[in-house]
Amino acid sequence: MNGRTTFDGADEAGEPFDEAQLAEVEGLLREAALVCDPVPSALRDAALAAFALHDLDARLAELTFDSLVDAAPVRSAVEAPRMLTFAAGDLTVDVEVGEDGLLGQLLPPQKAGVEVLTRPAPEATASCAADATGGFSCAVDVTGPFALRVRTGDEVVVTEWLRV
Amino acid sequence: MTAACLADPRTAYDDVPYTRGGGVERATVAELLKSAVEGDQDAWRALVDGLSPLVWSVVRGHRLSEADAHEVYQIAWFRFAQNLGRIREPEKAGAWLAATARHECLKVLRAQRRWTPTDDPQVLDRPCDGCSPEQTVLENEAEAERADRHRTVWEEFDALGDRCRQLLRLIIAQPPPSYREVSVALGIAVGSIGPIRQRCLRRLRKRLTDRGVL
Repeated sequence: MNGRTTFDGADEAGEPFDEAQLAEVEGLLREAALVCDPVPSALRDAALAAFALHDLDARLAELTFDSLVDAAPVRSAVEAPRMLTFAAGDLTVDVEVGEDGLLGQLLPPQKAGVEVLTRPAPEATASCAADATGGFSCAVDVTGPFALRVRTGDEVVVTEWLRV
Repeated sequence: MTAACLADPRTAYDDVPYTRGGGVERATVAELLKSAVEGDQDAWRALVDGLSPLVWSVVRGHRLSEADAHEVYQIAWFRFAQNLGRIREPEKAGAWLAATARHECLKVLRAQRRWTPTDDPQVLDRPCDGCSPEQTVLENEAEAERADRHRTVWEEFDALGDRCRQLLRLIIAQPPPSYREVSVALGIAVGSIGPIRQRCLRRLRKRLTDRGVL
């Protein structure tokens, strides 16, 4: 980067630029953006509502594996299911997102309540239970943003929100 | 080099303090974040109003479909809320949001590339709804002209290359993002923002001159 003059008052074609002219264009564009592409009010409302998520009395399980990003691409005629792994301390939640809903596995294996959140509100959209082997199956449509809330014997864990 | 760029007042986008309560009380993002963590709903509202345009600009720059754009925006804010008490550098909350939004946008694009062999026309041709004069109540000729001008500016902006569109979309957000936020939102060095901005605005100016807007 050293030695490269980037503010020499000339553009790529070597013509001098006039910052006042550029600022005028920028101003026009800013004005147009306010009219043509403002933040939709429904989205502002959703962001305001998200405040309810900050104080959920729960531990956050971070996304540690996402097949979309971390798996090697596989040539296949059919869409492979999305595989996700969340981790919160010792607890791991593996989830496979299929057409029929979510198939999951808790590690270490244990009984737990599993809830699917699809809105920034405490109420779950669907719930299912993990049996003693830690396996669970939730018939739920997760086409939009969602998070899982897992209630084990001694704690509540919520996964990071994501979409598939 | 970076310092020199930021010292240039024409191109510096300093960390703008966000306004709380309609411009009466000014507070930094870090302070708002701290208050929000403690449960202050007004502080959260101020953060949303101050940083929403930034998040929306990141999403819009990536040419996602309408539905994808809305979901990515929500994911960014839901995650931000979830992580509120864990953000290690509260003064960089905007950068945190911008980086999260960019990351999610790239995921969407990656999923599209993986599963859709052909380009999704919905993604490529996003209509410019708000600018259409027929959708606005036009009280007089001057207003009609202004709406027409907005539409032309937006059309020409939309026709710029990806790089220019992404960068300009960000720096015109209101309130304007800082250079650091633009940098993480685009994954480019702070030092390249000024030069790219100049190049892109020149291009747009040429287009607008050709269209008779300037």
